[in-house]
Formats: sequence, C-alpha cells, structure tokens
Amino acid sequence: MSLLVLRFAALFYAGAVTAYVLHFARPRHAALATVGQWLLGFAFVVQAIAIGLGCKEYGGAEFFGLRGGLVFMTWLAAGASLVVQRLYRIPAIGAFVTPLILVVLLPTLFLVKPDFPEVLPEAVRRPMLTIHIVTALLGVALFAIASLVAVMYLLQEREVKGKRFGALFSRLPSLAALDQLNQRLVRFGFVVYTVALLTGSGMAKVVWKSAWQWDPQQVSSLVIWMLYGVMVQLRHTGWHGRRFALLTIVAFGLVVGSMVTLNVLPEGMTRHGGDFSGERK
Amino acid sequence: MNGGRELHLVGLSHKSAPVAVREKVALSGDDLKGALAALSDRPGVGEVMVVSTCNRVECYVYGESLEEARHFFLARTGEAEEHLYERSGREAVRHLFRVAASLDSMVVGEPQILGQVKEAYGLAASVQTAGAFVSRLCNRAFATAKRVRSETEIARGAGSISQVAVELVEKIFGNLKGRAVLLVGVGKMGALSAKALRDLGADRILVTNRSPERSRALAAEIGAVAEPWEGLTSLLVLADVVIVSTGAPSYVITRELVAQAMKARRGRSVCFIDLAVPRNVDPACGEQDNVYAYDIDDLQKVVSQTHAARAEEAIRAEAIVEAEVMAFALERETRAALPVLAELRRKAEQIARAEAERTLAQVGAKLDEKGRRSVEAMAQAIVNKLLHGPTARLKEAAASGDSDLPGAAAELFGVGEAEAPPARGRSRDAPDADIHTEPHR
Repeated sequence: MSLLVLRFAALFYAGAVTAYVLHFARPRHAALATVGQWLLGFAFVVQAIAIGLGCKEYGGAEFFGLRGGLVFMTWLAAGASLVVQRLYRIPAIGAFVTPLILVVLLPTLFLVKPDFPEVLPEAVRRPMLTIHIVTALLGVALFAIASLVAVMYLLQEREVKGKRFGALFSRLPSLAALDQLNQRLVRFGFVVYTVALLTGSGMAKVVWKSAWQWDPQQVSSLVIWMLYGVMVQLRHTGWHGRRFALLTIVAFGLVVGSMVTLNVLPEGMTRHGGDFSGERK
Repeated sequence: MNGGRELHLVGLSHKSAPVAVREKVALSGDDLKGALAALSDRPGVGEVMVVSTCNRVECYVYGESLEEARHFFLARTGEAEEHLYERSGREAVRHLFRVAASLDSMVVGEPQILGQVKEAYGLAASVQTAGAFVSRLCNRAFATAKRVRSETEIARGAGSISQVAVELVEKIFGNLKGRAVLLVGVGKMGALSAKALRDLGADRILVTNRSPERSRALAAEIGAVAEPWEGLTSLLVLADVVIVSTGAPSYVITRELVAQAMKARRGRSVCFIDLAVPRNVDPACGEQDNVYAYDIDDLQKVVSQTHAARAEEAIRAEAIVEAEVMAFALERETRAALPVLAELRRKAEQIARAEAERTLAQVGAKLDEKGRRSVEAMAQAIVNKLLHGPTARLKEAAASGDSDLPGAAAELFGVGEAEAPPARGRSRDAPDADIHTEPHR
C-alpha cells in the first residue's frame, strides 16, 4: 500500500520537474513556477502519507535499509526545497533540485525487496535514534541542495566572467544571491549534522558501550563533519564565491562517496551495518 | 461613415530627418499647448495630438484632411517639407501603434517612447484638443504596446551601454543596497552609468579624478562624494563597483593594485567597468577570484546582440500591432451603430420606469418592499429581453460594415434621427461624446 502511494507521489514529483524545467526554459511564463511549487507541495504531502503508511507496515524498521533511507531523505529534501523557495523566491532552484529528488526516488519505487531487519532489537528503540536518523538524513539533504546551488553558482560565474551573457545568464539568479544561499544551507546543514553526530555517538554508547569505535561509518561521518566545519570557518576568512562553491561540491561528493562505499563494503566490515542503524546515509 | 473624418498623420523622425531639422520643429510645454489649441481651431480639424521627442515630431489630426497638419510643420520651418511623411486612416493608426510599441524607435524596444506618447496624450487631453476618438485611439495604442512588451521579448536584454553595465552588476551583486560605487574619472558615460546604478539601490557614490575641481563638480551634479585621487588604493577596498573612464593613456587600475585591494577586502567581490579608450583597467585583473572586469567592447558586444535579437522579435511584434489595428477599426465601425442603440435603450428604459411607477402608484400600497422591487425588475426584464435581439443584430451589422440596418432601426423605433448632432468641440470631455459626434448617417 505504501509503495502504491509512493508511486503516486513520484508522479507529482515528475509533474513538478516538468513545470520547473519548462519555466527555466521559458521564464516569461511565470505561472509555471507557481504550478511547479504546488505540485512539489502535493508530492511532499502524498509522500508523507506514504511514509506514514510505511511506518505502520514495517514498524519503523524500513529506515534501517538503504531504500527507506532514500525515501525519507528525498522527502526531507522536498520539504527543505519548499522552505527555501518560500524564503528566497528563486524558482530556478526548482529546476535543479526536483530532478535530483526524482532520480533518487525512482529506484525506491521498484526495489521492494526488504533490505532491513524484520525485528528491531529492543536496545535501539529510543527517541534518540529517531532524532539521529532524521537529522542525519536532513543534513545530507541540505548538503545536497547546497551543492546544487553551488553548481548554479559556477554556471552563472562562467557566464558572468566569461562574458557570454547567454541563456543561462538571464535565467540564473545573481551570484551574490546564490553565494549567500549556499553559505546558509551549508551552515544550517552543519548544525543539523552536528546533532546527528552527537546522537549517533550517544546511540553507539548505548549499544556498544563506547561512543567511539573506529567504525568506518563513524570515521567517515566525522571526516565529513570536520570538512563542513572547516567550510563554515573559512567563510569568515574571505572564502567566497567560486572557491566556496567548489568546496561545497567536493564535500558533497565525499558524502555520496562514503554512502556508496559503506553500502558496498561486505557486511562484516561495518561494525554497525546491520547492527543498529544500518545504512543511515 | 464618420462624416468624412479620419485620422491623419504628418511627421518627421530620426528616420526621415536630420537632428538639425528635428530640433527646429520640436516643441514642448506651453509652446506645444498653444500650437495644439491653434491647430484645433482650424476648420476641418476635430481632434489633435502632437508627439514631440528628440527623435520625432508627429502631428495626429482627427479631421477632414491632413493639410492642416502639414501646415503645422511648414509654418515652423520650410526645410521640413522634404522630410515629412504622411499617413491617413488605418495607416496612421498603425503608425501610432508601432511608435508606442517602440517598433519605430532608434533603439527598437527602448522603454521611454511609451511614456512619451502617454505624455503627449495627457497634454492634448489637458488642453481639450484630444477628444473621444483620440482617447480611444491612444488607449488602444497603450494596450498594444503593453501586449508587445509582455508577449514578445522585444524589450529583453540591454539596449545601451549603461543598461548593460547595470544588468551585469545586478547579476553579480543582486541589488546594490549598502554597496558603494566608485567613479574613476569624470567621463560622461561613467556618470550616466553611476546614475543608473543608483536606481539599483547603491546609496554611496564616490568620485575621484586627477584634477579635484572636476571631480567636485561632477560629484555635486550627480549627488556623489568627491574623494582625493591619492586615496585610490583605499577607495578600491571600499567600493564594490568601479566605473573607470579617465583620459589616461595607460592602465590606471593595475593587476597589483587589485590584488592588494582584494586582500584587504577579504575576498569580497568587486566589478570593474572600463569605459575608457585606450583601456584604463588591466584585463588581467579579471583573472583573479571574485574580480570581474569588463571593457567597452564587452559591453558593446552585448548591445549589438540585443539589437539583433530584438530585430527578430520585432517580426512577432508587428503581427500583434496588425491585429490591434484591425481590432481598432472593427471596434470603430461597431461603435457607429451605438448612438441608435443607446438612444433606443434609453427610451425603452424610460418607458419601463414610467409604467412601473404608474403600476406601483395604483397597487403599491398592497405590496411589501420585495413585491415592489419585483414589479420594477419585471419591467426591466421585459426591456432587456425585447432589446436583446435588435442589439445583437445591430452590432453584427455594424461590424460587417452594413450601414443600412442602424438607419432602418432608427427610423422604425423613432429614435436618433430626431436629435441633431450637437456642435463639435465643447462636449469633448464627456466619455460618451463620440456617440453624438459620430452620428450614423
């Protein structure tokens, strides 16, 4: 049932992608952006219903698998992008974010084989774990949006600096707006990710009796956290524009890389692979 | 059909006359008001409007011939003769629509002309030389211009150097609130661009120049602050947009100078716009991070691109103008049937009201408020239902150019013909004046 509703949500996402991309191609039709935003909003609501139904069906165990994680992350990304558009009114962002959401969501519509433990161990059933999962996924979703904004920045910078003034020049927002949005997303994402890291080590302490275990997931999470922390600091020492945008993209590349690697590694190598929170990110 | 009155146009523009001739006939303010009043008093002239800008002087006359409009120019200078163009009827309407839509401008798509036509109309209306016809004509022209603007991309892009500069700065900084603009040198184009940037929100404009007197003079003129030339290095740390137009034969803004300033700016973006020839800003400056440098050729290239793109859009704009010209002609013909219609309806409603009052006087006491209102409503409904068919057919007949039916209707219902059209002119302000001034014959 939840899968059916999820597929329904995907249809709305596809509609939002279409509207936003058409608006990007033909900016004169301002109504298209509004349509895109409404469709994205509908998709968000429908997906929320799908997630709720999923929780009922699997008792929350779904989010310990890659598929459940991706579903939840796309939902958070959609929500974050709705908020960003509400605050900044840059419809061009929709043309970049919604396609990514759809692409990430697509495999989850057909991968129905359960990839999560059927029964969750009693030890991990704690509110702290819920907070951990939500913040970790939200952090990654924010970093993803930030990296897309950085891509937009680099595209626009190429137009402005390369003196091309072509189609992208008029369609993309100003460099200052993109730079500022990128910075805020990184900063906010960093705060959220910090909460995820703290709750994560809290859980480790509960389950493994020790907050730090040199677990590959722990190590990569810490590296990523430090990288974003450094970025937040660099901002104060004059890292603006191009360099900051490049760094945002590299950092998110690392996030994706670690997610892929950790999911490909044989079971035994990730200490807490199926142990408590599976593939969180 | 309209008593022989038509729209006539005589004019000259940047396309037909050199500026030397244009400035001899150009008029403004009170002179223009006087000329309008004088023209409208001439025999055979109904309504008059004159569009006078630095690129064109055009005299629109709604009247019997274009001779008076010709005379308007020839009286001012005999030289005008060979530069004049003349249009009548639909051609004249099309010309005005094209002018308002900025299709006839020197820079096609430039936004000022619509405002100038609006001003011309306002002036003519204020001295009452523009009546119902010109008012309808102009409203249609404004609507056409608006359609062209929103349905085509004719106004897109930047049509002049300072517009390009503004657009660039906008794409780098968004708005300029709280940012400083620095003018290096006192070139005219630089001052123009600085003014345009002020509209983007720049609240601080600084001027510096080798000779302090001239920078002080310019600063006073555009409301900026003059700064000493020796402080250029620290000014570069302060300013976010730097417009350079000095007469210096070599680079004033060098790579080293910018590198030094960028360090002090802690990476904050800066944009150099070099309007000088030979160039005053080392193009290598733009290679640094967050430094954007443009010279006059870069800006000129955008201007030419815009012009090429606008020429393409103009084809679509012409189609819109054509459709609007047709619609205006059609509306005008339909209107010819309106005096009969209006009169017919007025008469019918008068009868209905009188009858309702009579009935109510007899039985009104027995009815409550609701009942009385239904009696009135019934009378009105009978009028509407009876007149619905004739109204539709009269409008159709007028639209298809059939001029017999309105006359027949007037005779049949005993309306319209009885009233002689009132004298022209004094009723010009009345919104429906044209119902009387364009009686159907």
